[in-house]
Amino acid sequence: MSFPLARSAAGLALLAALTAGCSTAVAAHSSAPKPTATAHSAKPSASPTTMPPSVKPSVKPSAKPSVKHTTEPPAPPTTQPPAPPATTPAPPPNPIPQGNGGDHDPDNNGGPSDGDGNI
Amino acid sequence: MTGRTARRGAYALAVIAAVAAIVLTVAGCAGGSPGRTFPSLVPAAAPASWPRLTLPNGTAVLSYPPSLRRSAGDTDAVSADQVSTDDTVQLYLNATPRQGAERLQGWAAFRLRLLRSDDAASAHEVAAAEGVRFRGGTGSCIIDTYVTRIGGHHYEEIACLVQGQASASVIVAAAPAAMWAQERPLLLRAVAAYLVR
Repeated sequence: MSFPLARSAAGLALLAALTAGCSTAVAAHSSAPKPTATAHSAKPSASPTTMPPSVKPSVKPSAKPSVKHTTEPPAPPTTQPPAPPATTPAPPPNPIPQGNGGDHDPDNNGGPSDGDGNI
Repeated sequence: MTGRTARRGAYALAVIAAVAAIVLTVAGCAGGSPGRTFPSLVPAAAPASWPRLTLPNGTAVLSYPPSLRRSAGDTDAVSADQVSTDDTVQLYLNATPRQGAERLQGWAAFRLRLLRSDDAASAHEVAAAEGVRFRGGTGSCIIDTYVTRIGGHHYEEIACLVQGQASASVIVAAAPAAMWAQERPLLLRAVAAYLVR
């Protein structure tokens, strides 16, 4: 009698700890190909940008406590409140046009980004 | 008697398993990969053979390895880079006076937001730190990777906002992501040699 109970407790504890997950430890390294063009080339490429595969954190349901079986009728389905509107990201502070835009910096032509404040 | 002992043993096992699971989970979250730890930056003057570039407003000095050459950039900034024979940027250093709303607190998020809104199709933090000591000041730094909108070039960089006594500036050291591991020590040395006033 007690062994299954203890095992269940251990199993539940393990499940709870593991499903708690860690939302901040998602690998963020991208695997984009090695750059091959220069930062100084003033030829803006019209090809689509290469996006690394986005890694989304997996959302796991939290462990639920066991529920006793009863003969009572099931509770009426609860109506879920409407999902909150998606927050729109703040607009870019001052995006400098790419493709030799702005001050024609290398970072407006596919080169490494400098330390300016988009001004 | 034996039943009670066995029950106690089972409970003890359950507790040990639970604690072990929690410890493992927490360690996994907090530790991550070793590469996520921000490297220690020990401020130190660059070797005498390294050329120096002073910001036009005189508030900071960027030292760069002799293998780099001064390159064009914003009029109020200084830059140096090393370009390979196939015209690929291999090393990049830049110093720019603070221009916008950059702040030491939250610098990492600011830098990522700026990259994404300006020239990067995507940008991800690798590591970040605040309260980093510099020659003449204190800074906040981020190491991140990003892919440019133009050309889809993948770079890794360390970007620090450094507050001196009277002004603040940003130093950026970057390399293609594929070369980052190899070039990182040299770039970190240049960052550690950054002097602010």
